[in-house]
Amino acid sequence: MAIPDPIVEGLASGWKHIDASQLSQDQTFEADVVIVGSGAGGGVAAEILTDAGLTVIIVEGGPLKSSASFNMEERRAYPNLYHQAAAMKTKDKAIGIFQGRAVGGSTTVNWTTCISTPRPTLDFWAKDKSVKGLSREELDPWFDKMEKRLNIAEWEHEPNRNNQALKLGCEKLGWDYTVIKRNVKGCWNTGYCGMGCPVNAKQSMLVTTIPAALDKGATLVSRAKVIELEHHNDKISAIKAQALNEQMQPTEVKLIFKAKHYIIAAGAIHTPTILLRSNLADPHKLLGKRTFLHPTLLSGGIFSDPITGHSGAPQSIYSDEFVWQHGAASAELGYKLEVPPVHPVLIASKTIGYGKTHAALMEQFNQLQVTIALIRDGFHEQSQGGQVQLTDTGFAIDYPLNETFWRAVRRAFGSMAELQFAAGAKQVLPLTEGAPYFNSWKEAKSAIETLDLGPLKTVIVSAHVMGGCPMGEDTKLSMVDSLGNSHYYENLSVMDGSVFPTSLGANPQLTIYGMTARNATLLAEKLKSSS
Amino acid sequence: MERRTFLTTAFVGTAALALGVNLYVPEHIKVNKSLDGEHRLLFSVLLPVFLDDALPEVEKLRIAAQNRTLDAITQTISLLPADGQAELEQLLDMLENRLGLLVLTGSMMPLMMRNPHQLIAMLEYWRNSFLDMMVTAYQGLRELVLASYYSCPEHWNRLNYAKPTFLDE
Repeated sequence: MAIPDPIVEGLASGWKHIDASQLSQDQTFEADVVIVGSGAGGGVAAEILTDAGLTVIIVEGGPLKSSASFNMEERRAYPNLYHQAAAMKTKDKAIGIFQGRAVGGSTTVNWTTCISTPRPTLDFWAKDKSVKGLSREELDPWFDKMEKRLNIAEWEHEPNRNNQALKLGCEKLGWDYTVIKRNVKGCWNTGYCGMGCPVNAKQSMLVTTIPAALDKGATLVSRAKVIELEHHNDKISAIKAQALNEQMQPTEVKLIFKAKHYIIAAGAIHTPTILLRSNLADPHKLLGKRTFLHPTLLSGGIFSDPITGHSGAPQSIYSDEFVWQHGAASAELGYKLEVPPVHPVLIASKTIGYGKTHAALMEQFNQLQVTIALIRDGFHEQSQGGQVQLTDTGFAIDYPLNETFWRAVRRAFGSMAELQFAAGAKQVLPLTEGAPYFNSWKEAKSAIETLDLGPLKTVIVSAHVMGGCPMGEDTKLSMVDSLGNSHYYENLSVMDGSVFPTSLGANPQLTIYGMTARNATLLAEKLKSSS
Repeated sequence: MERRTFLTTAFVGTAALALGVNLYVPEHIKVNKSLDGEHRLLFSVLLPVFLDDALPEVEKLRIAAQNRTLDAITQTISLLPADGQAELEQLLDMLENRLGLLVLTGSMMPLMMRNPHQLIAMLEYWRNSFLDMMVTAYQGLRELVLASYYSCPEHWNRLNYAKPTFLDE
């Protein structure tokens, strides 16, 4: 069945899109505002600033891909839509990181979970991180605005069986759980959000704010990798970028972008990388530090009945039973329970072992329920996150894992096993080297207490990169103010998850949408009044 | 990279010998022995171990699956960033020369001369090593082979999985 593709239609209608891979000569572009990145931050900012009558250029490192090429196969989606073909890892290779790299950023490939910033997170930022004006009361109108814009609403359909198990386990154990709000319109409930929505139901930036901005005259430049910001005194004077070819390798073509105002929204790895590479003022050496990942553990549960975790909305239930259990910054780290979609490459690569044991696990593919625990990092004094560092060839992410972290991992494996057995699992397999299949909660409980956990033994993944360019009013703690404006450059703002002073304890897209909606609206007013 | 330069320049001529290609080359591995820049011979030795019980039992189908996986591995490697490709090349080069084999496996015996039990022992030695380098070598190869194998729709039968067909209708 042919699905209408709004990108194909938009391009045919005359959108200003430049695929830098097709350029053969250096070029200079000018606008009122240049936005680097087209994800949750860049997309929302582009629409709001264009609506305000400002000329906008969006510069995106990734390619412009659309539903016509989303074929629900990981072998196409990962190289086309993810950084490093979804094989990115921390420096010591202990944590695998999934981050989008395409027009729409990670919103093109995320699992559509929308959660407002938790109150304890905002309270912590206000009290400990000098963030001002970001209470829930102040943010809620912006969340409401973005919920309307992106059709964000509680998932009304039955959860798929993967999520159903999470719900059932919580019900049996009397644990907290919540039905997830999703940014979808006319969702077909197929389960392939992570490979680009094949039917354009996901209200990602790719099919909402970016097309709206392009309809109103914005320019999109894709496959253009920003190298550095040129600056003089307290102003940014230009952005230098390099065109990439279709294989995402640099070409000889150089691009210059000039604007009255510059917004960096390249995500929590590339925003700090670009700013570090530009040698911007950073007197307290904050850039790239305190990078948070919501490091995530996985637990497999084998059920008698089919789970078919590849099918249906990938995330529709979460449990906050353990997120704030001991308070925001108490002795133990909290963790959120969710489930991931179960697809062949994802499961084959993020499990343990090879040969017969691995083949036996894969044969239970349709009986496999997977629960994940996302550790809330950055609040506790023993949870300072990691660091984005420049290297000769790009960047590295160093994320040390300490005793406090491993205590949380052990507790999380216990909670997940208890939940899966309560939901009816026959067997539970914590994804860490040396763990056997457990046949009962009693057996799992005592064995998990002594499991040999550690980097390169325990499978750890992340889909939420945050921090590295923190916001706040105290310049000793922050690079940008509470509205995302640079403390040091009058025409520079940052609008993405890199401004979070800690992780969130919740999936980040709605927080970025809401905060950017506010900050971009205020910026538009400022730019309009000064012109 | 000093070590890598040393190993590759000093021993590049021994690669074929270390793999054992003078003694044994499976006919179905479509490769020019002297131009095996994609390390297909090396992976053809490792695939049956990593994919034991996953590969089809019928020989013709098994050979097709292995060749498909070798193609997918080449494709996967080409997608890695420059740093990752360099690290992997270093590992593969070491496995293709005798000194590298001695360093990584404690034995100079060519991989093609090792039986499945010896290859499993080698992987288990890396997997459980106290040296991060060995563990990452194991994990890197493991992820590369398994991800490449399961990226092919032709290999999903045993999972009882197929992607939806509504786009084809």
